[in-house]
Amino acid sequence: MEISEQKIDNKTILSLKGRLDASSAKELKDKVSDLAKEGNTFLVVDMGHADFIDSSGLGSLVSCLRSVSRLGGDIRICSLKDSVRAVFELTRLHLIFEIFDNSDDALKSI
Amino acid sequence: MKKIKIIIDSDLKDVFLIGMTINRLCSITPFSDSECYKIELCVVEAVNNSIIHAYQNEKGHEVEVTFSMDTRILTVDVCDTGRSMDPEILQSIHMPSFDPDSNDLEIPERGRGLAIIKEVMDHVSYKTIDGKNWLTMFREL
Repeated sequence: MEISEQKIDNKTILSLKGRLDASSAKELKDKVSDLAKEGNTFLVVDMGHADFIDSSGLGSLVSCLRSVSRLGGDIRICSLKDSVRAVFELTRLHLIFEIFDNSDDALKSI
Repeated sequence: MKKIKIIIDSDLKDVFLIGMTINRLCSITPFSDSECYKIELCVVEAVNNSIIHAYQNEKGHEVEVTFSMDTRILTVDVCDTGRSMDPEILQSIHMPSFDPDSNDLEIPERGRGLAIIKEVMDHVSYKTIDGKNWLTMFREL
């Protein structure tokens, strides 16, 4: 999986490309942990180019949400492909994460 | 009956090979793309469990996946020779529940893999025979 980063004001967009799975979940957690240490705790995770997510990938997103929430921050998810959105719904995590159609709307909400 | 066996090393970095192969194999069934994706997800979860729990993330062991299909049923067996799982876990596991209005810190991070398999597939079973652990899942076509 590739993670690219873009900062807009005090918010960070993380764009994921590829598969967020058991082999890449730690990479995302480490990235968010590093951002949080630098005080970047308002994040948008753009999954428009994420083709696949498994329970470990979902777990990494939950872990990221918990770590920024502890510091008063928050996470928004955006641009989910239908197949990936179906996994959020299957696990009921769409009730926890605020999910937007695009990064502009996600940025405005945070 | 059509049948194919795929073997990978117990390395999480190789699991996508199984996932993508299963998805392509499912595409020759009447299942929709969305259902093929969910079956891929179930097999990936089972293989992850073999690597993470049975082999304790140790590389150099085999995980064997057998995909078979007849006119009625698609079956996938995932086999490893690592530590066995207590079959009771499969019986008792369910999707972690949470209150959507609860504090984010209380949301469980793990424990969704087997629950996903149980929700998506029509039947899941687990057995250990002669040192081999078999997780078998099927869906009616």
